[in-house]
Amino acid sequence: MSRTGPRHPALLSAAGLAAFLGLWEALVRTGVLPAAWVPAPSAVPGAFLRELQDGIWFTAVGDSLSHYTTGVIAGSLLGIAVGTAAALLPRFDAAQAWVARLLRPIPPLAWIPFALIWFGASETAAAFIIGIGVFWLNYFATQAAVRAVDPGLVELAAAFGQGGFFRCLWKVVLPAASPGILSGVRAGLGQGWMAVVAAELFGIPGIGQRMTEAAGVLATDVLVLYMLTIALLYGLTDLVFEAVTQRVLAWTRP
Amino acid sequence: MDTPVTGVPAIGVPVAGVPMAGAPAAPAAPIVALRGLAFSHPGDATGRNVLAGLDLELPRGGFTAVVGPSGVGKSTLLRVVAGLIQPSAGEVHLLARPTPDRRPVALVFQDARLMPWRRVAANVAFGLEGLRLDAAERRRRATAALDLVGLGAEANKFPAQLSGGQRQRVGLARALAVAPDLLLMDEPFSALDAITRHTLQDELLRVWRETGASVLFVTHDLDEAAYLADRVVLLAGSPARVAHDITIDVPRPRPRAGLANQVADLRRALEESFIGGAGI
Repeated sequence: MSRTGPRHPALLSAAGLAAFLGLWEALVRTGVLPAAWVPAPSAVPGAFLRELQDGIWFTAVGDSLSHYTTGVIAGSLLGIAVGTAAALLPRFDAAQAWVARLLRPIPPLAWIPFALIWFGASETAAAFIIGIGVFWLNYFATQAAVRAVDPGLVELAAAFGQGGFFRCLWKVVLPAASPGILSGVRAGLGQGWMAVVAAELFGIPGIGQRMTEAAGVLATDVLVLYMLTIALLYGLTDLVFEAVTQRVLAWTRP
Repeated sequence: MDTPVTGVPAIGVPVAGVPMAGAPAAPAAPIVALRGLAFSHPGDATGRNVLAGLDLELPRGGFTAVVGPSGVGKSTLLRVVAGLIQPSAGEVHLLARPTPDRRPVALVFQDARLMPWRRVAANVAFGLEGLRLDAAERRRRATAALDLVGLGAEANKFPAQLSGGQRQRVGLARALAVAPDLLLMDEPFSALDAITRHTLQDELLRVWRETGASVLFVTHDLDEAAYLADRVVLLAGSPARVAHDITIDVPRPRPRAGLANQVADLRRALEESFIGGAGI
């Protein structure tokens, strides 16, 4: 609501980040924060080099990326499919309504024991845990978006001989709902990274496992390194997705 | 000759604008005949009919306007003729030949109803995608239809980049692209400013002459009806019936300022239908 925005917003953002890191570094160096609890930010690059040289960083990131990708793609596609069906098919909607209410509040973490029983300490188990949270975000976003599609456009499709269920779905309903669907996908991309560490806590190799190991020997610099790694990966994913979305949804911004 | 069907055209009947060789200019067969048409909303527990026992014939190549008070069932009538909703009784005889490359009936909506994610050319091509045409032919016909409404230069724009009048032109082009025998128009110009509306009315008359299509035009604007149509059907009552059927025999091009008598006739008929116990 400010009448005039800052003249150099990027500069201000950089200054804010620098101030945050500077304060953190100062607090550790002066001993206000014990170094055994919190590493100085300046210790993180060294930890990064060690992990790189040992070949651990790339392996851990590669493993996690693989779980993430599988979980996010499967969760998004299933969420979009079930959400669309629930929005368009009143019988299916009625049948699934209470199943959804029963399963929805169960946090992804609570599924970990079942994932391990069903899939063992495997990639599938990690992808499953990641996919669950992603599924619900996509399910609800898609259901709302498809329900909100202008019925006039559906009538238009019928008036021009394209009122068949799948034809109308493909040509009218999904494109019309795409802004809402894509915002669900975007939320899922973030949720997926949050679930990665949890999914790998129990012996599934990846960033989460490496963090568990580091915690065991109080290597706090390594912990912070992987926290930043996840932040970076999320930032990259979101940036790329946002760029793609901007192109796909060019029609929403004339 | 005609088979009682709804929304589906009968087979083996000559098509408007495609005169058969040696055939005399036959004024006889109407483009569409409605017989004993009734409609009630399926969800309406009272079973009240919007339309009941409605008979109407539209001459081939004619321009018929339907006027009447709001909510009388003008749009319902249009949707029954378009085959979008099924009548609860009666028949729609549509005497137009179905072919794989054209649709017998096309609809123009009040709100233009363009797909915001499609560019103008793709919006116009939408109806063509339901026909058996290859991509090059679809492109050719969409371009021709856009040129017909004078929007050839806007083909690559998104609907949000157009004015209200341009959007209505795109909606008209989309309907014309499928080469319909019968053009159904649901108050297409009612949301436009007066100047744009007049321009589009003249464009429509030109397109009507050039294509030879029959037009059924719903409006609540009596000036518009008197200016455009050669026949004005007044719907009134609940359920709606044809209260008046008025011929406008003013030669074209018509003077906008010189239609006062015709408009007065229409207004009198409309008021009569209120007073005359039409049961509004």
